[in-house]
Amino acid sequence: MSMNRREFMAGFGAAGLAMVQPARMRATAPTAPVAIARCKSYGAEFLAATGKMFDQLGGMGRLVKGKTVTLKINLTGGETIRQDYLPQGRTFWTHPRTVAGVIHLLDKAGARRIRVVEGAWMWPASLEEFMLKAGWDPNLLLRAAPRVELINTNMPHKGNKPYTRFPVPHGGHLFPAYDLSTAYAESDVLVSMNKIKEHATAGVTLSIKNLFGITPTTIYGNKVPIDEPAPIPYGGRSDIGHAGSRQPPKSSPAEKDATTPRQGGYRIPRIIADLAAAVPVSLAILDGIETIAGAELPRGESTKAISPGVLVAGTNPVTTDAVAMAVMGFDPMADRGKAPFETCDNTLRLAQELGVGTRDLGQIEVTGAPIKDVRFNFREHGGPRQSWPPGRRPSA
Amino acid sequence: MNNNVDMTPLQNVVPLHWPSGPIEIARREKTEGFNTLIRRTLERWHEPAALEIAKDTPVDCIVMSWAAGLPVDAEQQRTAGPLLEAARRRNLAVVGWVDGTADHHAAIAAASKAGLAAVAIRGFKGSADLPVIAWSERANVPWDLAAPAVAITGNVWPGVSLASNAGDASSGPTSLPWLDSNSWYIQMARARLKAPLWVMFDPPGKGAVVPARSYARAICDSEAAGGRWVISLDDNLRAELAAGTAAAQESWRQITAAAGFFKEHAEWKSYRSLGLVGVISDFSGGNFELSGEILNLMARRDLLFRVVWKSQATGQLFRGLKALVYADAGPPDRALRRKIADFVEQGGLLVTGPNWGTEGKPEPPDFQTQFDVHAVGKGRVAVARKEITDPYQVAVDTQFLLSHRNDLVKIYNSASSGCTRFTASPDGKTALLQCLSYADRGRGGLRTIWVRQRYRSTRLWTIGAQPVPLDPEASEEYVGVEYHMPANAPQSYFALEFAA
Repeated sequence: MSMNRREFMAGFGAAGLAMVQPARMRATAPTAPVAIARCKSYGAEFLAATGKMFDQLGGMGRLVKGKTVTLKINLTGGETIRQDYLPQGRTFWTHPRTVAGVIHLLDKAGARRIRVVEGAWMWPASLEEFMLKAGWDPNLLLRAAPRVELINTNMPHKGNKPYTRFPVPHGGHLFPAYDLSTAYAESDVLVSMNKIKEHATAGVTLSIKNLFGITPTTIYGNKVPIDEPAPIPYGGRSDIGHAGSRQPPKSSPAEKDATTPRQGGYRIPRIIADLAAAVPVSLAILDGIETIAGAELPRGESTKAISPGVLVAGTNPVTTDAVAMAVMGFDPMADRGKAPFETCDNTLRLAQELGVGTRDLGQIEVTGAPIKDVRFNFREHGGPRQSWPPGRRPSA
Repeated sequence: MNNNVDMTPLQNVVPLHWPSGPIEIARREKTEGFNTLIRRTLERWHEPAALEIAKDTPVDCIVMSWAAGLPVDAEQQRTAGPLLEAARRRNLAVVGWVDGTADHHAAIAAASKAGLAAVAIRGFKGSADLPVIAWSERANVPWDLAAPAVAITGNVWPGVSLASNAGDASSGPTSLPWLDSNSWYIQMARARLKAPLWVMFDPPGKGAVVPARSYARAICDSEAAGGRWVISLDDNLRAELAAGTAAAQESWRQITAAAGFFKEHAEWKSYRSLGLVGVISDFSGGNFELSGEILNLMARRDLLFRVVWKSQATGQLFRGLKALVYADAGPPDRALRRKIADFVEQGGLLVTGPNWGTEGKPEPPDFQTQFDVHAVGKGRVAVARKEITDPYQVAVDTQFLLSHRNDLVKIYNSASSGCTRFTASPDGKTALLQCLSYADRGRGGLRTIWVRQRYRSTRLWTIGAQPVPLDPEASEEYVGVEYHMPANAPQSYFALEFAA
């Protein structure tokens, strides 16, 4: 692990590496194969390509048979934002037909129950209502297989235990543990499904960045109470997540070190890495059929709709993200200061340090289409990059 | 009153507040910031030449102070002679505003003698030989008074609220920017009044320079809801118009273009709301505060509603409604309760307070709510667990209980939208969607309008332009059709006119 002195001092305080880091330094990062497929459309072609990728990954039956499978999709931002005239699913959200297709495939592979989850920003009602407001037809998902549920994990989970504490292995970078919807505790297999895209704060949005949305905004959202979770969300995640201007309610674990930089480029990658370690992703499915260049959601002239025509999937989120970064024209070994991490730390490195997976392409077996054949340089598209000013990010 | 007076001349006039002369000077002298420029402007606007600004504009009425119970009342009326004569030559109707402790009958007599088209008086109940516009504060409107027009004071300057947070847009309960709008009130009043509704409010004070787009927004906010703003210009603009500066004339051109657009579409005011939620109330006292704010917050969330005055409810059909909100403190009378109960039995949703009582099979909703929901007949009754005090929660919960599955309209990439109006002509052959933006700066994205129903043809109306035919685009992911707004369509206001 490479770490300069400034990062050391800023990130881990005077206690020093020897006291805080030994477990993390020992964490070994596993590898797992990653499948790549060319795919130009969201219909039958997607279903066939994804089915083939699942086969290349060893089949889904061994992973999901008899299990509760949770699909974490990505519906970042408000429900009425679009890139140009295009539906969100064609630019910066998980496409609803990919969700329906994966539900179908996982059901065929023997999944006992499939839950589609998202912490839909500050939405105070069901995920189904959020989808309807956004123009989705939830029945597309609910009818893709028997026993499909839609859950807004921003809200307290139904039952006696709304939240469950997830400790971060090896102590965590920023928080020692996170209180998340109990839906995640009831999950046997977590699938992360989202677009391949850039991110204004974290450099890239890939399968582990998608986990930022599992933090409930009743606990990690703006305007939450001091002592207990809010009954409903009141705002996005900018105060606690990006700016670090306050701590979660006292009922949840506070940051390990409140003297660390109050900067999104420092904080968000660490939160993501923590979550990737605390809530393991068993399957990552990244959609680059159609997506957005320039940021994670529409940002005026900064973002453009693009059609790379590629899918990336794997059973380890870090190896999958590393390959996806390479497909995007980025070096997954890049560190702060180098694209796409000009103003942030490399989330993949931080996750690797927690033992989630390796980002070293030399250690990752790639099946299906070769990276060089599907490479789509994101930086040749999009407009001038913009960072969100602290505390002013409109979504999370 | 006004039994023998022709009231039609005021039906579709475009009135301009015309502060001028001794009464205005006497008033303003007592206010902070009064200076010689303001005095000079008030003097110049009392001169006939000032009326030149109305030339080639839709403005065909000026509203000037006539009597206020001040020593200068007589001087105001005497010195107004040349101005009134010039107005007559220009076919401008003049309305005299009467307030303070002025003697109503004396003011009317003087106005009649001076040839005013009408006077506006609060609380006048006698007879008069010229039209008397009834003016009133919001909460005390004489709803059943026969008047050629009703003028309402106490309104807000429409826009994103900048009341707090050091110039940052202040937030409502959901972090959405708070919108100031008179739309809800105008819709409420229009549901009760037969006479034209004049909406009185002034630009932000303290010498603020108000851009033309803010004036246009003020016009759109009133007109889309069915009212008519009595255009009121700020001190700076009036001074510059009097001086004839090019910038002021360009602002004035934009303001009058907006006013003219709506004058030419006067028939839109007869359109009825297509909202799916009926809000029933007597809109008086505490019920006005609560149900009025429910309307306000529904409008802000673009939850399309229809105002149902309690006194008229039993005679109305609830056709087209999917939900009713009854939040008044007192119970409805027996006939109305029966009518509401029938609505529920036939599949409607009722959202109401705890006094309604509970019956039927519990049907807990899938979100946190202050209401217990029971299935009754084919419908549902949502009864608040305790007395309703939070209008915001009523608006939010009603929207979720109704479900976005029933949305008629969605707007994508609209900056600080709200108060969207979706109405239909009385014969049902035309539907009209009016969209406003209350932000000075938009997100800048291309806007898409989704509507549930497919119409035979659609035209896009914007201020100052000819209508443009729009073809629907197939909606990829849901029912309905989409319309892609041209990139050059203004953010501030546009209307889609659908032919059924």
